[in-house]
Amino acid sequence: MQQFLISIIIIGLTVALYLVMRRLYSKYSYSFLLPLLTTTITIIVLLSMFHLSYETYMIGGQWINGLLSPAVVALAYPLYKQRKTLLKQLVPILGGILVGIFVGMVSGVVLAKSLGVSKGLLLSVIPKSITTPVAIQVTSEIGGIPSMTIVFVMIAGLSGAVLGPLVFKWSRITSPLGRGLAFGSASHAIGTSKAKEFGEIEVSTSSVSMTLSAILGSSFGTVVAWFFQ
Amino acid sequence: MNVIRIIGQIGMLFAFSYIGSFLKELFHIPLPGSIIGLLLLLLGLSLKIVPTDWIQGGANVLITFLPLLLVPATVSVMKATTLFSGKGFILSGVIIVSTIFTMISVGWTSQLLERQVQKRKVESECNNSLSQ
Repeated sequence: MQQFLISIIIIGLTVALYLVMRRLYSKYSYSFLLPLLTTTITIIVLLSMFHLSYETYMIGGQWINGLLSPAVVALAYPLYKQRKTLLKQLVPILGGILVGIFVGMVSGVVLAKSLGVSKGLLLSVIPKSITTPVAIQVTSEIGGIPSMTIVFVMIAGLSGAVLGPLVFKWSRITSPLGRGLAFGSASHAIGTSKAKEFGEIEVSTSSVSMTLSAILGSSFGTVVAWFFQ
Repeated sequence: MNVIRIIGQIGMLFAFSYIGSFLKELFHIPLPGSIIGLLLLLLGLSLKIVPTDWIQGGANVLITFLPLLLVPATVSVMKATTLFSGKGFILSGVIIVSTIFTMISVGWTSQLLERQVQKRKVESECNNSLSQ
């Protein structure tokens, strides 16, 4: 009974907070007011204020998290709707994704290595651009630290979603295709949730790159890890 | 009525995710069940085995609320208290820089290739019209 009450309160609070943050975001539309970011930070602050653990939060949080799997499946729908456009652009799509997997893994590990971090941490950086469940598998296979990888995956996701519009402006990435692929390759599902604000081409290309990065990245991660041992 | 329909469609998407997880276990596929489910649904839709009516509304609702659904997973960052001291803190900078590099390289590559494809198409159309 108590568990049930806690769940209801946590779910209600998370949804209410998210709706408020979404309102705020649509009113001021600053990139750093990204609802996922502001909701997450507020929840973390609240939990620490009341000395509650992540495990306690997840009593309710697991129900929201449980809807994530069907939501990822749902990404097949915009992808299907845009299939003709996507097939016409097969070369730019595959080219972009392959470069993304390479740069995402190698630049992370090279930068981390230049800081002289421990080997475990270094390896945990490698799969940071891939969606969490795959990243965890890759990191445990190559000898990284799963809990660290989760954090890196989240930072890659949030920073890509928040900085994306600015990066596109600086680097003159104007095509919907390029933008969508950049979001999905660098920032997986979080990037895809941001790509949604741009349009259907962006969502579908972001979903394609998220999916292919997960599929191809899992084997490429092992190669990069072996190289930087 | 519409709500019931959307719940049913979300149930359908759940089913795809479960089938994905089942296949993952069965064949030891190194991908999450949801991604396998995505590929299966795409296949089903493309082969017209799955009509879009089965998933349409539910898919739109879930994609609209995708950021909300990502919240619990993102909150897990709070567990990594060691990260936000010393080297860990700099390492988050590394992640951000690498993420920006990745975005730029992907965007540039695909944009460049896109223009190349476009150019080739225009050229071949020109050649066609010249030879006619």
